[in-house]
Amino acid sequence: MPLALQVEELVKRYGDVVAVDHLSFSVKRGEIFGLLGPNGAGKTTTLEIVEGLQQPDSGRVTVLGLDSATRSREIKDRTGVQLQASSYYEYLTLREILSLLGSFYARRLPPVELLELVGLADKARRRIRQLSGGEQQRFALAASLVNDPELVILDEPTTGLDPVSRRDLWALVRQVRDRGATVIVTTHYMEEAEEHCDRLAIINHGRLLASGAPRDLINRIEASYAVRLVTAGPLTGEQLEALGRRVEAAPIVNENTCLLRLHNDPTGLQNLLDEVGRTGVVLEQLEITPVTLEDVFIELTRT
Amino acid sequence: MLAITLANLKMMARNRQGLFWALLFPLLLVVVFGLFDFRGVSPTRLAVADYSGGPKAELLREHLSTVAFLELEDLDAEAIGSLEEARQRLTDGDLGYLLLIPVGLDDPAAENRSRTVAPVTLIYSTRNPERNQLVEGAVHSLVIELRSAGLPVLPGNLVTSEVIESPEVDYFDTVLLGLLGLGIMTNSIISIAVRISTYRNQQVLKRLLVTPLPVWKFFAGEIVAHLLLALVQALIILAVGVFVFGGDIHGNPVFIQLVWVGIIVLLGAVVFLNIGFILSAWARNPAAASGMGNAIALPMMFLAGTFFSTASLPWLLPYASLALPLTPMLDALREVAINSSPLWETWPQLIALAAWAAATAAVAVRVFRFS
Repeated sequence: MPLALQVEELVKRYGDVVAVDHLSFSVKRGEIFGLLGPNGAGKTTTLEIVEGLQQPDSGRVTVLGLDSATRSREIKDRTGVQLQASSYYEYLTLREILSLLGSFYARRLPPVELLELVGLADKARRRIRQLSGGEQQRFALAASLVNDPELVILDEPTTGLDPVSRRDLWALVRQVRDRGATVIVTTHYMEEAEEHCDRLAIINHGRLLASGAPRDLINRIEASYAVRLVTAGPLTGEQLEALGRRVEAAPIVNENTCLLRLHNDPTGLQNLLDEVGRTGVVLEQLEITPVTLEDVFIELTRT
Repeated sequence: MLAITLANLKMMARNRQGLFWALLFPLLLVVVFGLFDFRGVSPTRLAVADYSGGPKAELLREHLSTVAFLELEDLDAEAIGSLEEARQRLTDGDLGYLLLIPVGLDDPAAENRSRTVAPVTLIYSTRNPERNQLVEGAVHSLVIELRSAGLPVLPGNLVTSEVIESPEVDYFDTVLLGLLGLGIMTNSIISIAVRISTYRNQQVLKRLLVTPLPVWKFFAGEIVAHLLLALVQALIILAVGVFVFGGDIHGNPVFIQLVWVGIIVLLGAVVFLNIGFILSAWARNPAAASGMGNAIALPMMFLAGTFFSTASLPWLLPYASLALPLTPMLDALREVAINSSPLWETWPQLIALAAWAAATAAVAVRVFRFS
């Protein structure tokens, strides 16, 4: 299957700061691809280079088979972008904004059809400020589709939304993918990425830490469930060491919380609880959860 | 490009508050200046050429000096060329009146011999008819009073008036064009600076950059929409000035002069729009952009002679005035609309404006930033 995006050895520096450090990954056509990483990991910089807003210091970006260094105009014509902030004219109606944006492209979809797609047909004559947060994000998605793009780039489309709006928006993203477009999306919500992305890349400090399907990434962690202990006070070094001997990966400690990961073997849990009793750890809470993408993310980006 | 220009015009029309104040500010000034009656009894100078040098002449001058709106000035009657110079000043409007007192005023014997009365002559221009009547009346009654001790003569022979025809230009017409320039300047600078700064803050500029819209079309859309707004603004200011407050655009036919005015307005507006783009690059937010715009526009308003002649400014400021883009714009506007000159006679001003437009455009292109 041809690639929608190929990033090779991409480097971008701002003075002494290396925002993107020899980053390589690729996105297949027709998939929802998640780009994950903590704040300042280089996600936005990478996307801005792909969108043609910035020039890389070195490396190669190929979008829809076109070299971004030389065919930027053509790439823009066939891509749709949603930026993080609400970035539309405040004195135009939704419909007018869509038809203005559409006028910049060779190919365009009728504003009414776009508004219907995102469920805002009855608000065509409203202005951006008159919309709720969820409606604004849905509109931004519609605006990124004015040119019926082959590649759609969405920067944190669900940030700041309530759970229902987030669910609605993801349904739309899947719908866009089902229409045949490739979707690249960044998000901070790991459970969303795990549920909705076909494949993803985790980056930090501008470097690629891992990439693949969510399930594959989770399976890389040598544990199938985790035990979360909330203790009355911080654990001593001795206690931590004792507990660490009973688990698969180094414990993740955050103040009074300790995350311990185990194989799918009931005796492991028994041994661990014995150790808790032996070392005199005072428990306030105990929780057993499956390993999720969030664990993968924390594990990878901890350093 | 048509689409983005139309969208810009639509947005301007919908930003009612912004539009209202942009148009109202210069209009308010038109109203303020229109309400002052400059054609009333504004103070002026009266030059006296005294050929008599006698006590009656002295008395006449003394009485005239008590007239509140007259400022007396003595001419050396014997000096060659001083009369011609005074007449020229009358024509130019720098002098209000010229009074010639004949030898006969203080020498009844000479009058008896010739049996005629040498009249006192008052020379003035047609510029200010109401004031002319007042001054003429005052001189008339004063002379009759002085003569009444002498021979019985017909009052009509005592004073003659000489009228110099001059186009009816008054201070209001000059100020009206100043206000026109002022309105175009402030609106162009501040409107663009605030708009672009707002777009940048709201990431609209970035959003446009990810579309294939060529950058020049974005700028062209903004500039064309603002130029149209400038023309509308010019029409409104001139219409209020002319129809409500009786100002005048001088020319025959007036329509041609209005076309010239429109061209000068457009050229000036381009310069000020460029300045607005430059400011928007430096301003971190719309409020700062607005402040910067005012900081540039207000001093320029005074230094470029919007209300007062810059010749009266102290120190080097009259020269500073020459270095401002509003100065050639106002000069050209006044040349065309007051002196009825054709556009091409304002070529030095047009060249100055074109140079300003080119220079500010070059700077704007260098400093402009999208995010």
